[in-house]
Parts: sequence; C-alpha cells; structure tokens
Amino acid sequence: MDNQLFNGTLVRLAIENPETDAASLARWERDTEFERVLSHKPVFPSGQKKWRERLEEAPDERQFWFSVFALAEDKLIGFVGIFMVRQQHGDCMVGIGMGEPEFRGKGYGTDALRLALRFAFRELNMHRVALMVLATNARAIRSYEKCGFVREGVTRGADYRDRIRRDVISMGILRSEWERANSR
Amino acid sequence: MDNQLLTGKLTRLVAGDPDKFGELNAKWSHDSEFFMLFDSDPVMVRDAKRSGQFFRERAEKERPGAFPFLVQTLEDERLIGEGGLWNALSSNRDAWVSIGIGERELWGKGYGSDALNVMLRFAFRELNLHRVNLVTFEYNRRAIRAYEKLGFVHEGKIRGGMRRSHQRWAIVFMGILRDEWESANR
Repeated sequence: MDNQLFNGTLVRLAIENPETDAASLARWERDTEFERVLSHKPVFPSGQKKWRERLEEAPDERQFWFSVFALAEDKLIGFVGIFMVRQQHGDCMVGIGMGEPEFRGKGYGTDALRLALRFAFRELNMHRVALMVLATNARAIRSYEKCGFVREGVTRGADYRDRIRRDVISMGILRSEWERANSR
Repeated sequence: MDNQLLTGKLTRLVAGDPDKFGELNAKWSHDSEFFMLFDSDPVMVRDAKRSGQFFRERAEKERPGAFPFLVQTLEDERLIGEGGLWNALSSNRDAWVSIGIGERELWGKGYGSDALNVMLRFAFRELNLHRVNLVTFEYNRRAIRAYEKLGFVHEGKIRGGMRRSHQRWAIVFMGILRDEWESANR
C-alpha cells in the first residue's frame, strides 16, 4: 500500500488554492508554444475567472485534475490529469503540462506523470492509460517512453497549425506493463 | 451476444424523462402499500408536478453512473414500473439496483423479477460490474423471495432499523457477484 499516493521525488500533486492556481493557468495559456503542444484546440485564452470556475467545479468520477508542485521550491509548475475515465472498460487518458518553462526537461513532468499513473492503476483500477502527443514533441515522447508508454498508432497530419502539418501519435500503457516496471 | 440487451421474457427496460417518472410515481404513490414496499420514506401521496420536479433535481445531482429505467410490458407496451442502477461507474466496480412494479394487479407474476434480471445482465455484461447490491425491508417477503430466486445472497441486516405501523423491522442487504449470476444464466 502506498500511503503517500500524491508525493513523488521531485513533485507533489495537490489542489490548493483555486485563485492562485487559476492565476498560473491564465499566465501559462499566453505561452503559444505551450498551448499548441497541449491540445488540438485553437489557441484561445480562457482567462483567470473561467479557470477558477473550472477548478471549483465539483469533482466527478470521469476526470481527476491535479496541480503539480515542485517539492523543493514549493512552487506551482504545471498540472496533470486523468480524464475520460470509462470504468466499464477500465480505460482512460492522461494529460500533462509543465507551465513554468524553467521546470521543463528536468524530470519534474516525468515524476508527475508517474504519480498520475500510480493513481490511475492503483486507485482507479484502470486497465490502460492512453495519451496523444504531437510527433514533433520529442521531449514529451522521451518522457512518456521512460514511464513505460508504447506507441500504438499514428494519425497522419491530424494537427495543422501555422502552415505546418504534424502527425499525432497515440501511446498507451497497460496495467500489467506498469506493474512489472513498478513492482516492489 | 445479446442483440436485445434490454429486453427480457416479459418486460423491456425503456427510457423515461423526469416528467414521465414523476407522472408514474405520483400515480403509484397513491397506493400506500406500493410506497411502503418500495421506499423507506414516510408514506405520502405526491402530485405529478412536484414529483417531476423531484426527478429533475435527482437527474441533476446524480453522480455519473446512474441508469434509470422504466419497465414496459412486452405484451401490451404498458409502463408498469421503474428501476435503475445507481453509482455504477465507480472504481469499486459495483452498483446499487432498485426495482418497483407500481401496477398492483401485476404483482407476483414475475414482471419485477424479469426486469431485475435484465438489469443484472446489463450490469454484468455491459457495465462489466463485479457485484450488484440492493437494500430491502424485512416485511417485503415477496421481494426477498424474488431476489433469492435470482441469486441474490443475504449479506447483512440492520436489526430494527425500520419503523412502520408501530413495529420495528430489519433493513436487509443483499448482493450478487458476477460469477454467481453468470453461472445461473448460461
């Protein structure tokens, strides 16, 4: 049994203050490059008020979003979430974004993703966790592979922005694979 | 594969909007015996409008995993009862089930059992649940017998947890596991 499901080595997952969390999210969404790798939606700001409303919505069993805090600095640096939870199939998706640029490429996101996977497999009893990533996002793909995700398919040219067409890669990890890599 | 997943031998499960639930429940609430067998709330008559409001509010508050059904007869497509699976998409892989036949001339003829068994098939084959729970009252002997016949097992009770007409009755908890249902329904 893990008694500290939300604490990793570099980060912890939390929901602390909707007001300050919303302020960070509203700041991060002005980073166009960040927004473009994050989602297929047109880059368009929600604003702090809207983010706050979303953060204050009552949680339900279909999605679980966390704020990611760097442990040493006690600083909000990104978010991670398990969503599209379909319990009847044991299937869900994971999404992650490291909003603070100076915390990218240093293992914080990978640590947060590991915590989200442990939550999905050990607490939600998922069979599989899936994600979508731009084929050009090499840093993210490396991190996902480190966590044990395998490539499952490519949707060719599904992303088209700023005159560039990019492939979108789907990746997934099964509980058995994750348990094998994380047994203790 | 069941191509008619929601159809049984006597009944089928159909959808109903909150107003339909309200209308039928208001009608059935005037049969105090039905109400007493179905619900632990004090017996009370309800009007269709307020009852519809109750079901609309329930639908808004309901956690994901609520599957309310109306029970329709195959023979003459009459709406005779209601039931549902509740909180059926949790990580525990279980659900609560409810069933009530409001039309009293159809009591004791297998309609409720048939509809309940269709709900169990839905629960185990479509939602892939591990178990289904229900709660009933000691005085509802006919229901308890029907649940036993379908394979539900007595799992516990709250002794004297229910007070009706100056008498105390046990609140009865029953449950069925997927393996048990599957071996009875090959």
